[in-house]
Amino acid sequence: MWLVPWAQDRYPQEIAHIQRRYPSDFDDAPIVYRPSPRRRGDIFAPGTSTDEWGCRFTNIHGGVEGEVREPILPDVREWRDVRPPYEILPQHLSATRDLVNRHCARTNGYVRAQCLVNPWERYQALRGPQNAFMDIIDWDADRQALLDRIHDYFMAELEFWVSTEVDAVRLQDDWGSQKQLLVPPHHWRELFKPLYAEYCQLSHDRGKAVFFHSDGNILEIYGDFVEIGVDALNSQLFCMDLDELARLAKGRITFWGEIDRQHVLTAADPAAGREAVRQVVRHLYDTSGGTIAQFELGPGANPTVAEAIFEEWESVGRLELPTQGWIKDE
Amino acid sequence: VNATLQELSHSVITGDRTRALDLTRRAVAEGTSPKSVITDGLIAGMAVVGAAFRDGELYIPEVMVAARAMNECLAVLEPLLTDRIMPSHGKVVIATVKQDIHEIGKNLVAMMLKGNGFEVIDLGVDVAPDTIVEAVRDYEADVVALSALLTTTMPNMMEVVDALAAAGQRDHVKIMVGGAPLTQSFAREMGADGYAADAAQAVELASLLLHPSTPEGEASPRAEASREGHGRVAPDESTCR
Repeated sequence: MWLVPWAQDRYPQEIAHIQRRYPSDFDDAPIVYRPSPRRRGDIFAPGTSTDEWGCRFTNIHGGVEGEVREPILPDVREWRDVRPPYEILPQHLSATRDLVNRHCARTNGYVRAQCLVNPWERYQALRGPQNAFMDIIDWDADRQALLDRIHDYFMAELEFWVSTEVDAVRLQDDWGSQKQLLVPPHHWRELFKPLYAEYCQLSHDRGKAVFFHSDGNILEIYGDFVEIGVDALNSQLFCMDLDELARLAKGRITFWGEIDRQHVLTAADPAAGREAVRQVVRHLYDTSGGTIAQFELGPGANPTVAEAIFEEWESVGRLELPTQGWIKDE
Repeated sequence: VNATLQELSHSVITGDRTRALDLTRRAVAEGTSPKSVITDGLIAGMAVVGAAFRDGELYIPEVMVAARAMNECLAVLEPLLTDRIMPSHGKVVIATVKQDIHEIGKNLVAMMLKGNGFEVIDLGVDVAPDTIVEAVRDYEADVVALSALLTTTMPNMMEVVDALAAAGQRDHVKIMVGGAPLTQSFAREMGADGYAADAAQAVELASLLLHPSTPEGEASPRAEASREGHGRVAPDESTCR
């Protein structure tokens, strides 16, 4: 069960109850990053904040992430001014690696790296969303140089994590709108797929699984994620045609959740939550691919429905699936 | 429609702003009226873009560069209009509601409306109900278009409906809503006149709300969509009343 601060602030007791009843099978590695001299404020709090890249976010809502209102790179020709935050990466590699490895040795959980590799989101934060979208069409050497600079940093970040004993690394970029991909698929394949393929290659070479999160309808590129070797993909299943999704990826990738957070988790109807779980199992469960019982408790979500979802997963797993058929994600 | 305007439409569709600007200037130099350049060149091109986006053939970046090309051409043409008034299918006040600062979806709708011949007054994001009421009154708007991305800000749309009613404006304006978490039933419950699932549907819906009985032969985007048999917005699906 993924929590955003919005839910944590409103339902602390209910969430604690669910977490006690359904402890996660996952564990996160310790945070190893050094303090950033550029970071100011809290991206989840109302007001303005600055992150480790120097990007400025505005938030009026609290409990959800802020938005970039004034990009720091309105003119892409000035891409050389962008300074990736290498200073926050571990400096004492051996000691930091030991810290992570000791954690991995102690836990029974499946350990994911605490990394956030998201080249498209970073590109948008630097350029502003509107410029970033138009850049996809206006692509030139300056834009490529900016993306290369971002990619080099994330490769360096991943290099550390794959040298540890974590089980998996995490990548994320939202690529879908409600009904289709955000950008033309051929541009995505040309510009971004090769980056993700490199992250996958690096991780697999060192025995790490790749977990990828991407919101929206990404049906058009689901097969590409399978092709480059993403091991588990967290996507908004209910934005997509589940039959088509099964045809493309069932048994070839692990479906890392989820349950519809736009309509089911906000509907205050536990029966709808249970039915959603059964739908996922009917369409996507496969012993050679599998499913992770994951969903997000975000703005507007109802903890009663969340508990019903876990109950249903438990019931389905007990009655119909092998014991290793599903695992829970906190 | 002459060859220059046809080529101009094509430049808008492909988002080639340099070519579009050249063709706009050429069309004016050839004696074509600015209004015709707008209607038969720019808006005709954006109508194709809208239909292609609706049908999943074009994507957000392509719509944005098309709208950018059109806007740059409009900036050239505006001073040349004798009355300085753009041809308009209606006035739309658009805003992302209070407590919500997401703007890509709202901007996309604004671009598409403008590109399809609507006059758009964009109030921005995190807009209070009173500000929207004021804009409706000041601009004598025909339509209010409201956007929300978060389930927690969706109810703020209802406040706008109530504020318009309290100000005595509700019967003078159509209200349409959109945003990822919205549904047709939620739109109906809040008292909106219509719901659009995406920017292309928003254009069709605005046309439908303002011109519900567009006669055959008049080229409203909605009418075209129906005749081609692939309009996604049947009146009973998109409108709430």
